[in-house]
Amino acid sequence: MAPRRGTTRRRFLKSTGLALAGLGLPRAIGAATADLKLKKPIKIGCQTILSGPLGGYGEFMRKGATLAMEEINAQGGIGGSPIEISFRDEELKVDVGVKNARYFVEDWGADFLIGIDSSAVALAVGEIMPSLNRILIVTHGATEKYNEDLVFKRHVRQCFRVCVPVYQDGIASALVAKDLPVKRWATISPDYEYGHTSWRMFRAYLKRFKPDVEFVGESFAKFGTVDFSSHISKVMGLSPEGIFSTEWGGEAVTMVKQAKLFKVFEQTKAFMIGMGAAMDVLQGLGADYPDGVWASGRYYFGYPDSAENKRFNEAFRKRWDTYPSYPSETAYTAVQALKKAVEKARSVETEKVIEALEGLELDRPAGKCVIRKEDHQAVYAVPWGQIRHDPKFPMPTLTNLKVFTTDEYYRKPPFAPVEG
Amino acid sequence: MLFQGLVGLSEAMYLWLVAAGLSLIFGVMRVLNFAHGSLYMLGAYFAWVAFRVSGSFWVALLVGPLVVAAVGWAMEFGFLRRVYSAPEAFQLLLTFAFVLILDDAVKLVFGPVYQSPPTPAALSGAVLIGHSVLPTYHLFILGVGALVGLGLWVFLEKTSFGLVIRATAADREMARALGVRASRLFTWVFILGAWLAGLGGALSMPVRAISPGMGELIIIEAFVVVVLGGLGSLRGAFVGSLLIGLLHAYGLLFMPVFELALGYMAMALVLIVRPWGLFGIREG
Repeated sequence: MAPRRGTTRRRFLKSTGLALAGLGLPRAIGAATADLKLKKPIKIGCQTILSGPLGGYGEFMRKGATLAMEEINAQGGIGGSPIEISFRDEELKVDVGVKNARYFVEDWGADFLIGIDSSAVALAVGEIMPSLNRILIVTHGATEKYNEDLVFKRHVRQCFRVCVPVYQDGIASALVAKDLPVKRWATISPDYEYGHTSWRMFRAYLKRFKPDVEFVGESFAKFGTVDFSSHISKVMGLSPEGIFSTEWGGEAVTMVKQAKLFKVFEQTKAFMIGMGAAMDVLQGLGADYPDGVWASGRYYFGYPDSAENKRFNEAFRKRWDTYPSYPSETAYTAVQALKKAVEKARSVETEKVIEALEGLELDRPAGKCVIRKEDHQAVYAVPWGQIRHDPKFPMPTLTNLKVFTTDEYYRKPPFAPVEG
Repeated sequence: MLFQGLVGLSEAMYLWLVAAGLSLIFGVMRVLNFAHGSLYMLGAYFAWVAFRVSGSFWVALLVGPLVVAAVGWAMEFGFLRRVYSAPEAFQLLLTFAFVLILDDAVKLVFGPVYQSPPTPAALSGAVLIGHSVLPTYHLFILGVGALVGLGLWVFLEKTSFGLVIRATAADREMARALGVRASRLFTWVFILGAWLAGLGGALSMPVRAISPGMGELIIIEAFVVVVLGGLGSLRGAFVGSLLIGLLHAYGLLFMPVFELALGYMAMALVLIVRPWGLFGIREG
């Protein structure tokens, strides 16, 4: 259940927040000072899935955002103002997501919104951001319609995203698949926006890279599928040579376990899971994760080999006693990006921070990245790799990393339609 | 083709174990137990703990459901029996409260991470049926489901305790007038129902991801099954589960776009034509 505050405390915080915002108006003149005299505290509303069988994801997101908050506050906050983050359960439901966003802004007094796991929720909340007049930084929902349609084509400027879109699941995957000895592909994927759009992209791009491939079948599983047996037997009845899947969280765990029982890994030459390198799946499957499965994520803790990534991993493990999953990194980065942008804009005003975020360069744990001005999408590369069991780690890890440049797999404005 | 049906039936067996307890409890006690899915979840978690301690799947399968049965006893003895005479809405609220409490309790104790113990070696093989591979575990599940069905039938039809249960389900007042101690009977029925749900959960442990909230995913389908088969009818729960399993498996094959709706359409149809369910008893 989402944490709720007592009304009196909320009202108190809101009124003091407003008062402080008023006091903060006359801005510091001259050279940049540590204290920008912004409203105190700066409030960030984060919504993510915190209940049910995919609740593990939200837990990882909460940990990442909280770590960023603690680090920033320990160093004096954003321009002298401490950050306060409130978390609410998105439940992957559009109405809940919209309600949360309205609550954060209208009742709690949020200055910025981050989070969101579901593509559909990201699109719906994105729609209302102009009327709420706040910035939303999506940290997980991955549909390309968010940056390509909502931001680029329809100019909803309040929307940003710091996680790699379905280009990772649908295009980088095709770059891996084109070199695999597989001609007949089938999918078992989620029966909603994310699953359909990834499979459509994978087919279109793989066909372009390798014209003689065939797509022999598909089985789409509803949200909350507890058993994949009939999906597996349906797809295996079409004798595919490779399985492409965008199942995630506990559903990916169940699917892989059951595919193993059905001897799918013996009967096929390749198995790809877009979000299979998420920490909850790695930990959840543990020893049961078959070697050689191709997996990726929106960040992989072992890449890149940079000082910033090393520092982030150490800080995260020290704080939470677990390796970070990708929503941890993206939420961490969203908060850090806000800090950088607010300090650049010397303001928390939506319009000014939007300008500061456009083209902002970040040295994030996942690598150097730039927030593209045209579609407000953070551009950075995440590898694909194959599952292996390395005794040095308490969970399976990736080997044989395939790293593509963002130029190779990020779609670019003006975003030609995906054929097929 | 036939193979797809067999896979659907194996999936239906988990549903049957949950629906059986749900239906039994409603039939005898007239309580719609919303928390039945949570008992299924507890079955998986307790079995997992037992597996970690003992290292044996078989011990886990024995211990897990028994601990759930004990929880069922505590629920009935400590809480439910206080609201039997209250309006049904109170009973629903109470059992729904248990869903929230148990979900959060599991999250507190085990964390939100997915747990997934390995499949026991003896059951991780597969048999070839035509050109299709059927996991040994699925055969095992089919066997257990059938065995439980047979066991329940023998228990209810051939034992004197079963006779008392059936008599109470048919006419509570008359049974009481004839000297049946309803309160003790209710406790035992609830324990049996909880054990069945726990068994379903324990069986799912090595093949499905275990997580808080997993009970909510199965309880809705279990309700559909119970309504379809007739509230309180075990035969109905059995046939209803198989029907839902087959509709799901063949729906995926022949009309994947409508697959989600098929079970509910079947339920709606039954509610229109036979509101008391396929095997339910017409009241009034």
